[in-house]
Amino acid sequence: MSDDLTAEILRNALCTAAEEASIVVVRSAYSTFIVEGADAAAAVLDARGRLVAHSTSTAIIQCASLRSALPYLLRRFPAATMAPGDVFLMNDVYQGGIHANDLLVFRPVFSGGEAAYFTGTLIHVADLSGLSAGGMASDATDVFLEGVQLPPVRIATRDGLVDDVVAILAANSRTPDKLVGDLRALIAGANVAARRIEELIDERFAHGVEEYLADTERRMRDSLREIPDGSYTGAYTLDDGLTVRVTVTLADGAATIDFTGTDAQVPLPVNSGFSQTLGGVMYAIRCYVDPSLPLNEGCFAALDVVLPEGSLVHCTRPFPGGGRFGTVAAAEEAVFAALTRALPGRGVAASGILQGFSLSGVARPWLHMAFDLGGMGAGAHRDGPDATGALFGGGRNIIPQAEPVEARLPVRIEAVELIPDSGGAGTRRGGLGTRTVIRLLEDARVDTRGDRLHRPPPGAEGGLPGRAGGYFREGPDGTRTPLDTKATRQPLTAGDAFVLETSGGGGYGPPPGRAEADRARDLADGRVTHSPDDTDDPDDPDDPDDTEGGV
Amino acid sequence: MSGVSVATDVGGTFTDVVLAAADGTVHVVKTLTTPQDPAEGLLRGVREALDLAGVAPGAVTRFVHATTLATNVILERRGVPVAFVTTEGFRAMLALGRQARVEEERFDLGFVQPEPPVPLTHTFSVAGRIDASGAEVLPLDEEGAADVAERIAALGVAAVAVCLLHSYARPDHERRLGEILRARLGGVPVVLSCDVWPEMGEYERATTTLMSAYVGPVMDSYLRRLTGLLRDVGVTAPVQVMESAGGVLPAELAAARAVHTIESGPAAGVIAAADAGAARGLADLISFDMGGTTAKAGLVRGGRPGITHEFQVGGKGSFGGRRPGTGVPIKIPAIDLAEVGSGGGSIAAVSGGTLTVGPRSAGADPGPACYGRGGTEPTVTDANLVLGYLDPEEFAFPLSRERAEAALRKVADPLGVDVATAAAAVHNIANAQMGAAVHVVTVRRGIDPRGYTLVALGGAAPTHAARLAERFGITRVLVPPNSGVGSAAGLLRADLSVERARTYLRGTSTMTEADLAALDALFTELEEAARTDLSAPVGGEAVRSVGVRFVGQAHAFTVDLPSGPLTPAAIGQVTEDFYKRYEESYGIPLRDPAELTTARVRVTLPAPRPPTAAVRTVEAEERERTVHLDGTALSVPVRPRASCPLGVPLAGPRILTDPECSVLVPPGWRATATPEGSTLLEHRSEDA
Repeated sequence: MSDDLTAEILRNALCTAAEEASIVVVRSAYSTFIVEGADAAAAVLDARGRLVAHSTSTAIIQCASLRSALPYLLRRFPAATMAPGDVFLMNDVYQGGIHANDLLVFRPVFSGGEAAYFTGTLIHVADLSGLSAGGMASDATDVFLEGVQLPPVRIATRDGLVDDVVAILAANSRTPDKLVGDLRALIAGANVAARRIEELIDERFAHGVEEYLADTERRMRDSLREIPDGSYTGAYTLDDGLTVRVTVTLADGAATIDFTGTDAQVPLPVNSGFSQTLGGVMYAIRCYVDPSLPLNEGCFAALDVVLPEGSLVHCTRPFPGGGRFGTVAAAEEAVFAALTRALPGRGVAASGILQGFSLSGVARPWLHMAFDLGGMGAGAHRDGPDATGALFGGGRNIIPQAEPVEARLPVRIEAVELIPDSGGAGTRRGGLGTRTVIRLLEDARVDTRGDRLHRPPPGAEGGLPGRAGGYFREGPDGTRTPLDTKATRQPLTAGDAFVLETSGGGGYGPPPGRAEADRARDLADGRVTHSPDDTDDPDDPDDPDDTEGGV
Repeated sequence: MSGVSVATDVGGTFTDVVLAAADGTVHVVKTLTTPQDPAEGLLRGVREALDLAGVAPGAVTRFVHATTLATNVILERRGVPVAFVTTEGFRAMLALGRQARVEEERFDLGFVQPEPPVPLTHTFSVAGRIDASGAEVLPLDEEGAADVAERIAALGVAAVAVCLLHSYARPDHERRLGEILRARLGGVPVVLSCDVWPEMGEYERATTTLMSAYVGPVMDSYLRRLTGLLRDVGVTAPVQVMESAGGVLPAELAAARAVHTIESGPAAGVIAAADAGAARGLADLISFDMGGTTAKAGLVRGGRPGITHEFQVGGKGSFGGRRPGTGVPIKIPAIDLAEVGSGGGSIAAVSGGTLTVGPRSAGADPGPACYGRGGTEPTVTDANLVLGYLDPEEFAFPLSRERAEAALRKVADPLGVDVATAAAAVHNIANAQMGAAVHVVTVRRGIDPRGYTLVALGGAAPTHAARLAERFGITRVLVPPNSGVGSAAGLLRADLSVERARTYLRGTSTMTEADLAALDALFTELEEAARTDLSAPVGGEAVRSVGVRFVGQAHAFTVDLPSGPLTPAAIGQVTEDFYKRYEESYGIPLRDPAELTTARVRVTLPAPRPPTAAVRTVEAEERERTVHLDGTALSVPVRPRASCPLGVPLAGPRILTDPECSVLVPPGWRATATPEGSTLLEHRSEDA
């Protein structure tokens, strides 16, 4: 029992180190994206680039980025050339990064005089140049328009920050103070985790880590064996008609996830860097294996993920990767579709996804970057949850509250409400989308970044699609004009409101099969306003009744 | 100086009463809880304690009470039906929630949305708007408010919770809406967020207000009745209730701030553990509080109980629901604890060839089979009796070994083993389950429990503590005096304390004379409110503190204000303290502009400290009794705990008995009586 206990203390201590790093970054960062809601990612890795532990709040795509990028750092700076106190920075999407604004920081941890382990942190920083403040330019046709490109560089040594690099970064940010603040926060987080790992390292540490990863891999493979062996295909099409295609092949505890056949990359920020697709694949597969598995290299080792270079799911220079969410979500839906063929009945209808936006000041620099979440698809046994973080595994804890945003910025949030009738009809109803109304008190510009708005999330097994969301400009008189779903720097005048509507989730099973009690409850709660006998089409976007109300 | 203090802790199985007389003599009574009407058992215990001490009811000067009422009401969803009213546009605030999907749940495609704490049918909104600076943007829609009042009246709810946007900055709309609702709803309590927790962050303020409304009326009627019943027996001392952060509140305030009492009893246990450890010079402790129904573990590091500000009720996870973002957040400071549903009354059963223990509990009624009160199901207490760990004659009331054996046969027969083997299995399974609670507060947080001392509190804990310690390689167990009523003993030590806070946003470097005057006025107002809460216009200690953060960041540190007048120099000092704390915490030597976020005042009236009565060693014969240890029946020495000579280690295996508990000293352990009246158990490996 005592050996088991020792192993377990070590495993928890590794996770706690990553967790602590994440908390330090969140609490010391300046990016409004982080402080009002979203989390920071933190991970512990080894010198072979293997993921050992990560912070629990992290979206897997961020964790996958830290894991994917470390080998590129080590290629440029071999571990033997690193010195205690060194800290490295990068953001290159082609080397495991995400896009310009997502900064990755790594710090080596020395054991026996060698850089044996690494701690890594990652957040979306306030601004690092590019076409739009905040890095959400949806008209970036190449990577250089997305922001400053950072190959792995040394950002600090034992003597402190490398001032020359910091000066270049600050000079390339619309909000230099916040950028430098965020950089310090990332380094502080990596330092804290490194200190914890240093405290943990003893003669048994390396063996304990090996056992941990091996044990996880064993469990992952056992779990994969419970899915019937075979090859299964799936596909999902994005708003602009691009399609992600996948073949999932399971054979004795190993899975090959092959995206051959996926459409080619395009000169717009809808492509996905390879680390991001890998993260999406890991999320999707984990929905079908033992949910209590820790996420570390043991999970990755059982998967062979084939991402054709130059395709939508693995962009190459100079194709941009910043708008990856839609593509990663499509890759997840494609894997779900394939696995639903392997395990019929376990699938769910498609979900509305995360819809981002950024508002920035015209007369003076301020920035509000946030998002809201679409309704989740319904399944065989339950209605879809409303406006939740399907597909990336987050929850609504990442949506900022209205009061702190208003205290900080010249905006008034007039509503965050459920959109009635937005869940796809079905035996089980899709989850509802939300409407957020932000009134501008100063002139501003807005960038939008959404998908599943022209092709709303389809239903499954006879269920209907969810209601398509969108982005709108609402004048002081209430007239509402649509904004492009991938708009850049659209002007908003003081007094205008920016309206964000997320898509509802798809329904599951034929609508006539819905139980009377469920219908009655939906009507009483106001989630549905039409009884099924109404001739009115609840999904008609031109019907004013469908867009006026809120719950 | 000090009068007579009475502390009472109502648990699921036992009601504990501790009376500290003016000379420091402590009298304890353990009596069965009366689940139908907990006040009945409580009064019985109080009367017994008064008789035992020979104290007249009128001589009691302090009556402190811990109750799990608020927790149970929330977990069992037994609160009163509540309506919720907020600002137009935000009606879905509670339904949408801010839940995190964590651990297993985040990969669950079948993820089911939690039911909102108030159904959408009971949620309303009213137009009107205050902005973040406190300015009115849109007047309150009084007609709309009246209409909402009408619709709420039709629902027949028992309480209304109101949380309007930015009411912390200016409560006018909320107060006016409250008036309109009260005018229509008569006696239905209307709880306003500006009264409950006036801090920025509408969601947490709303849930905290909502839970106050939900639990408040139940708590209010309970405490009113209890106060009346105590008066009937002649106890006229003011009733005080333990709050979650380890202080106590006057009864009237406990009803109004019911959410603050959620971890009432368990918090007292951790305070008692910290207190007992401090007396022995031990600062790193794991409190292990095992009663009849549940067991709780808490961590004390460096002498201080861990306080969490991310308290969640009814969250995901089987151990007290403490995973942030998974339950209903309540914005109150609370002592950090983990809880599992196994205690002395937990019922053992065999299903599908597997022996299980709990979570069903025989509670107090009918209680374990050996109590002879009609219980026939085998419980952990029955197992301990059969194993010889409890003395049928030395217990608070006689126990029936025959009934215990008969009950245990229900699990022994299907398993094809003898009764003693089945009893040992039940004992071990209970230990494993309680290990889970200890696990959560230590190993799961990456803390090695082996350097800690386990403090055994509650009637069943001393029988299990050493064995539990062995599971973790813990080599020291402290059994405090009166450990059988450990939580109640902790209540005697708790200070009367109230915190009042309000959001106050202002840059530290740009504060004008007028700002300082306004802040000073706010502090005065908060202190007056806290003193009114405590009915203590003067005296005690008032600590002023502020939340400070860097402009543009979200997380603030709480920094105490220097004493003396509020001057620019004082704010400068606060800013410097903040910079220092920030660098210590994050390793970043930042000196960017900072801002104040919150003004807080905590007023504390120190509890009268009962003098410590000298420990008297009583003379008693050592006897022998057959006990089952590790599958063998052994004859081991048994003696009253009070007869152990001070400072002399007594080797295990042996049993030390107390009227409220029985200390099992397993082989390999030794027990030493300390001058404070505790028993220190040490594993022999300490010799090495």
